[in-house]
Amino acid sequence: MMAVFEKSERLRHIGHLDIQRTMQRALRRSGLPVKYSQGFNPHILVTFASALSTGAIGRREIMDVTMAEDVTPEAFVSAMNGALPPDMQISCAKTMDDRHPSLTSMLYAAEFEIRIMDEDAAQRMIASLDSFMAQEQIITLRKSKSGMKEVDMKPLVYSVQGEGATLRAVLSQAEGSSCKPDMLVNALCAFLSMDTPRVIVTRSMLMGQDEGRMVPLETL
Amino acid sequence: MISEKIEAMLEKVQKAPRYTGGEMNTAVKSWDEAELRFAFCFPDTYEVGMSHLGMKILYAAINAQPWSLCERVCMPWVDMMALMQEENVPLFSLESRHPINEFDVVGFTLQYEMSYTNVLAMLKMGNIPLRREDRREEDPIVVAGGPCAFNPEPLADFIDAFMVGDGEEQIVELNAVIRDARKDGLSRQELLKKLASVRGVYVPALYDVTYHEDGTIASFAPNCPEAPEKVLKAILTDLDSVIYPKEIPVPYTEIIHDRIMLEIMRGCTRGCRFCAAGMLYRPVRERSLEHLVELACSLEKSTGYEEISLSSLSSGDYTCLAELIRELLKRMQGKHVAISLPSLRLDSVLKESLEATQQERKTSLTFAPEAGTQRLRDVINKGITEADLMEKASDAFAGGWSSVKLYFMMGLPTETYEDLDGIADLARKVVGAYFAVPKGQRAKGLRVTCSASVFVPKPFTPFQWEPQDTLEEVQRKQLHLRDALRQVKGANFNYHESGLSFMEACFARGDRRMGQVLLRAFEKGCMLDGWNEHFKYDTWLEAFDECGVDPAFYAYRRREKDEILPWDFIDSGVTKEFLWREKQKADNAQTTKDCRQGCNGCGLQRFKGVCKFCG
Repeated sequence: MMAVFEKSERLRHIGHLDIQRTMQRALRRSGLPVKYSQGFNPHILVTFASALSTGAIGRREIMDVTMAEDVTPEAFVSAMNGALPPDMQISCAKTMDDRHPSLTSMLYAAEFEIRIMDEDAAQRMIASLDSFMAQEQIITLRKSKSGMKEVDMKPLVYSVQGEGATLRAVLSQAEGSSCKPDMLVNALCAFLSMDTPRVIVTRSMLMGQDEGRMVPLETL
Repeated sequence: MISEKIEAMLEKVQKAPRYTGGEMNTAVKSWDEAELRFAFCFPDTYEVGMSHLGMKILYAAINAQPWSLCERVCMPWVDMMALMQEENVPLFSLESRHPINEFDVVGFTLQYEMSYTNVLAMLKMGNIPLRREDRREEDPIVVAGGPCAFNPEPLADFIDAFMVGDGEEQIVELNAVIRDARKDGLSRQELLKKLASVRGVYVPALYDVTYHEDGTIASFAPNCPEAPEKVLKAILTDLDSVIYPKEIPVPYTEIIHDRIMLEIMRGCTRGCRFCAAGMLYRPVRERSLEHLVELACSLEKSTGYEEISLSSLSSGDYTCLAELIRELLKRMQGKHVAISLPSLRLDSVLKESLEATQQERKTSLTFAPEAGTQRLRDVINKGITEADLMEKASDAFAGGWSSVKLYFMMGLPTETYEDLDGIADLARKVVGAYFAVPKGQRAKGLRVTCSASVFVPKPFTPFQWEPQDTLEEVQRKQLHLRDALRQVKGANFNYHESGLSFMEACFARGDRRMGQVLLRAFEKGCMLDGWNEHFKYDTWLEAFDECGVDPAFYAYRRREKDEILPWDFIDSGVTKEFLWREKQKADNAQTTKDCRQGCNGCGLQRFKGVCKFCG
């Protein structure tokens, strides 16, 4: 069962491990027929499309739960929403074939809303977006297994626009070549030689690819 | 506004989930509709506070009343505290983020003495005057309960009313009195007099103390007719008929005891002479098997927890323990729930039930022989023999355990170096029991951990008259034991900061004059004393010195039989005569039988029908 859930403002500081544990316990509370892993420390088989950073809000986060018996999406949503805290509700669910590829491998990109908490900084940053994106390369440092590595993040930024004091960006989330929103903010601020302002990040949508088009992951 | 500031602060602190609130099963009651608002304050961090069963019970008890609301407050960590100060954010509740001084009642639970500076810190962060005398009409009523409330005097300057004894009904009664007094427009002073009539409630403003020249108490008496001469603790007779939560908050972040705690009984009949809890929580009251099974099922359903811990002072003594475990295993079948027994007594017939719980996962086994020789175990009335311990250890190793923890105390009355060597001997024998199991049949990775805490004499125990070992003596003993245990392969040794136990001893048996020391130490920066990295021993000594108070008077002094002790005005159920009898028997290394084998006349027999082992 694929399900879309929210991680609201109040929970934005809850880390991914805690979200996973909360989801495990909610699944247990729901009484739904879920499947457990084999072995010494059995846990419910649930995977998440992508770990959301601590501090970020998630509007349409996605998980996949392996069921032991057939359950309708409606029954799943209703049982789970009774078992989840109000700040972490499920908006929709969809039955999936057990043999579908993993959510992680289906994930291609995500849409972010980056709220800049300093108005002056926001104006400067948004005014410079075009010249920033007009660079041939956007070199940034990224942690890798062998220390810091220079990467060109330009091809990982599919789009970015300003709206009020918010940057709306679609960034690559593909395995091995993902771009985090703070990478974008840091690079933009470095480009402008300014201090990085405080931002609040919302991941508003996870996306996959369907015949070359980016579509919401849950529609695949 | 405050919420926005909090949001911004949470970006900068470690472990922000401590402060978010909104956990599953937390109360969302209307602030405006509540007639009485209670801020339940735990004077330590969230992970400690949320692991505490009493808080969950009382939270449920207050919120079960349609007219009252209870929200949780924990001690912020230093990083959060600094930010709150910088941003001028007062201490707030987890649920609705209201500043604590907007509540009608601010209640602290006193679980250990070294959390007292945190009580002051929380009041200060909440903009509530620290000293009760300085509180104005509009300030909340500050109350405190829990085991340390049995000697309330060190906090008497700061707490308006103490609650002594079982809290479930008492706290609702207290809240009702405050609600009515507020409705009737009573002054703070009048309200406090009314509170003095609630069972088990002690209002320090209504009592006066005088002292002899040598510093001991000359008199302790009420200064108004409303205050009882003796405050009898609140005692519940039937736990099945009082509230127990069917839902408990489930934190997002990991806490210390991250599981369902099912209190199967309250009280203990063993009569260990060092144990305050064993005296304070008398008599033994068991919940019925049916009730426990029902509670376990509801809690499992409402929390999704993977573990149920059967909790009490001595769970092995629960009358139908084997049946209970069997029934729980049956009901939890297929739900992947582990059942654990935290305070496992050595001499209980548990083998069968232990094996039953092993169907799930295995953890390390804990034994508490407390002392290294039979003589000293007789002195403290810990009715465990070496043979008991060895039998259980062998069973455990044969049953697949490889990790055993042994708890001891050092500095017990009459202790000699022979008793300390006895600890090393026991550890060596336990290691031997492991190697006695054939190689293929025993689990790998033997670990025998010996922990030795420093004995702190506590009020309402037969050792309440005894001196604590001096710091120098304790340190000598720790080194001796460390060296002795180094010789035992497979064993390791843990011991504690001895300065902390010394301070704990001062507060445990302190009187009102300790209040100024506490305040001074707090002003000098003492806080979070229970956390090693924050305990400032030298600062504490300076505070004593500046107040002209001698810590040795409280920790190292032997009290006379007829001395008025600071807590004598509290009737804990157990009489001073019984405790003195027990002290004399301890001096002669004579044991006292378990109450289940016949009444020992501890004092509970004064109340008809309260103790089922009386008479």
